Amino acid sequence: MRLALLAAALCAAALPTAAQDVARGRSLAAQACASCHGEDGRSHTPGVPTLAGQPAEFVTMQLILFREALRPVPAMQDVARGLGDADIEALAAVFAAQPSGPPEDRAARDAARFERGKALSARMNCGVCHLPDYAGRNQIPRLAGQREEYLAQALADFRDNRRAGSDTQMNGVMYGVTDSDIAALAHYLSHVE
Amino acid sequence: MLRRTLAACLMAAATSLPAFAQAPAAPATGAPPDTTMNRNLAPHAPKMTVTQPDQLPASALRVPEGFRLDVFAHGIPGARMMTEGPNGTIFAGSRTIGRVYAITRNADGTTRTRVVAQGLTQPNGVAMVGNNLYVIAINRVLRFDNIEQNLDNPPQPVDMTEAFGLPPEQHHGWKFLTLGPDGRLYMNVGVPCNICEFDRDRYALLASFRPDGSDRRIEARGIRNSVGMAHHPVTRELWATNNGRDWAGNDEPQDSLHRIRRSGEDHGFPFCVGGWTDPEHNAGRNCSEFQQPAALLGPHVASLGMRFYTGAMFPEQYRNQVFIARRGSWNREPLSGYDVVVAKLDAQGNVTGVEPFLTGFRDDAGQRFLGRPVDVHVMRDGALLVSDEQNGAIYRVTHGR
Repeated sequence: MRLALLAAALCAAALPTAAQDVARGRSLAAQACASCHGEDGRSHTPGVPTLAGQPAEFVTMQLILFREALRPVPAMQDVARGLGDADIEALAAVFAAQPSGPPEDRAARDAARFERGKALSARMNCGVCHLPDYAGRNQIPRLAGQREEYLAQALADFRDNRRAGSDTQMNGVMYGVTDSDIAALAHYLSHVE
Repeated sequence: MLRRTLAACLMAAATSLPAFAQAPAAPATGAPPDTTMNRNLAPHAPKMTVTQPDQLPASALRVPEGFRLDVFAHGIPGARMMTEGPNGTIFAGSRTIGRVYAITRNADGTTRTRVVAQGLTQPNGVAMVGNNLYVIAINRVLRFDNIEQNLDNPPQPVDMTEAFGLPPEQHHGWKFLTLGPDGRLYMNVGVPCNICEFDRDRYALLASFRPDGSDRRIEARGIRNSVGMAHHPVTRELWATNNGRDWAGNDEPQDSLHRIRRSGEDHGFPFCVGGWTDPEHNAGRNCSEFQQPAALLGPHVASLGMRFYTGAMFPEQYRNQVFIARRGSWNREPLSGYDVVVAKLDAQGNVTGVEPFLTGFRDDAGQRFLGRPVDVHVMRDGALLVSDEQNGAIYRVTHGR
């Protein structure tokens, strides 16, 4: 486990972020992101993901996919259109540094659905790339504590080829997964601590 | 205990990886063939932001004595496969960032880069046919007419997608594209999974078409995913690199170099790679049934772009030898590849050895990489270009005179 984390850390390209970049990132995040994604990066808006604690490379990659109109979410395309690479990297550093945690409005855990989602995740090997605690790494997002309805939508989008990541792994993984299994996975992952 | 649970959970990864074109993904069945691999390996993150020139690894890169390496172009995130227009413009395709770049040289030797297409799905395949640039972006085929005359205002492309009728799968659906000496377009159609049951007349093959998309011909079957092809400058035979499957061991199978002597021959995937039988998908086949690779290129190295050296700048010993970019491994410990090698051919076209040419991207002590070479291109003056996708840069290798 420790080795894997070490390997992941070594793989990560170093993204030097100077103090003024941090300040600029915070200011940009407050202006452009906080109203939907939350002041502390924890979203209380249905359908909008929590960004707090997401790996910097993941946030960077997604902002570039929005900017390049490769991930079609109209609200995000408008936000990302004018962002330069340095802005994107500064924003990513801000969200990566925020402590992760579940949304305040998280629904109660349903023991049966949680267990079903847990078994599905083990069978589908979600923890191989997202890591066994689902903290994510590099370009691979944190899933633990993410908003449940957002996770369900994202998984369906991968299955139905409405979305691809930095590669096509998730499209392959989700091929043929049922709505009911997606719901169980989303419930489990949103409640994993 | 945690470790054992983890290992058990991860062991199933091999067989449950994407089965794109198949019936709904089967649950993981049985153990993978090699249980000693670290099951926590995942593809490395690509970098799609600009790398500043002072952050490029050029000073760490090594070429043989008498050669010199310079940065040709930078600030081109995700640049991959290269082709050259009649007026000398270098076009570079990409994958994740969805762009096609045009790189021209200024009078002072510096370069200027324009984005001539964007918002495409993995536009990796680029080739010139006369004055027209072909781009294949899963699974669209686009033709940009008279592109070099219109770099500042690229024309709306002619959409040739229907004529080519390529499969829509994204996984391994990105293309390498090259124009053959016979005027046909040659490309790969990769297998839409790591390894699975699939239609061998549709996937894991090399195909050629007339430039209008007609007259599809299977050039080779049983090649898992080729992202590099070139025709021998003398024999005109097609040669291709190939990427071996994942999760069968750190040292198996090897990536391979293939010589296609006759159209339509079978090179063995998923049953065999050379004499190596696949532990899950061999189906009782004898590997001697299949065409044997011209060379083995190393396990998991990601051998991609290849070109025969046809220039006059390099010493005579490099003439008609094969330069191959190895992007570098993810499904292996320790790291392998991350370099450019030369496959040496004798007069009969037999590979007599594979030698390092451009090294220094791989840091063995730190088990990290400084860049990822994806394609090579021989310029008209004989210089060799090498694209580095991770850093969004193209290097130029010259030989001193």
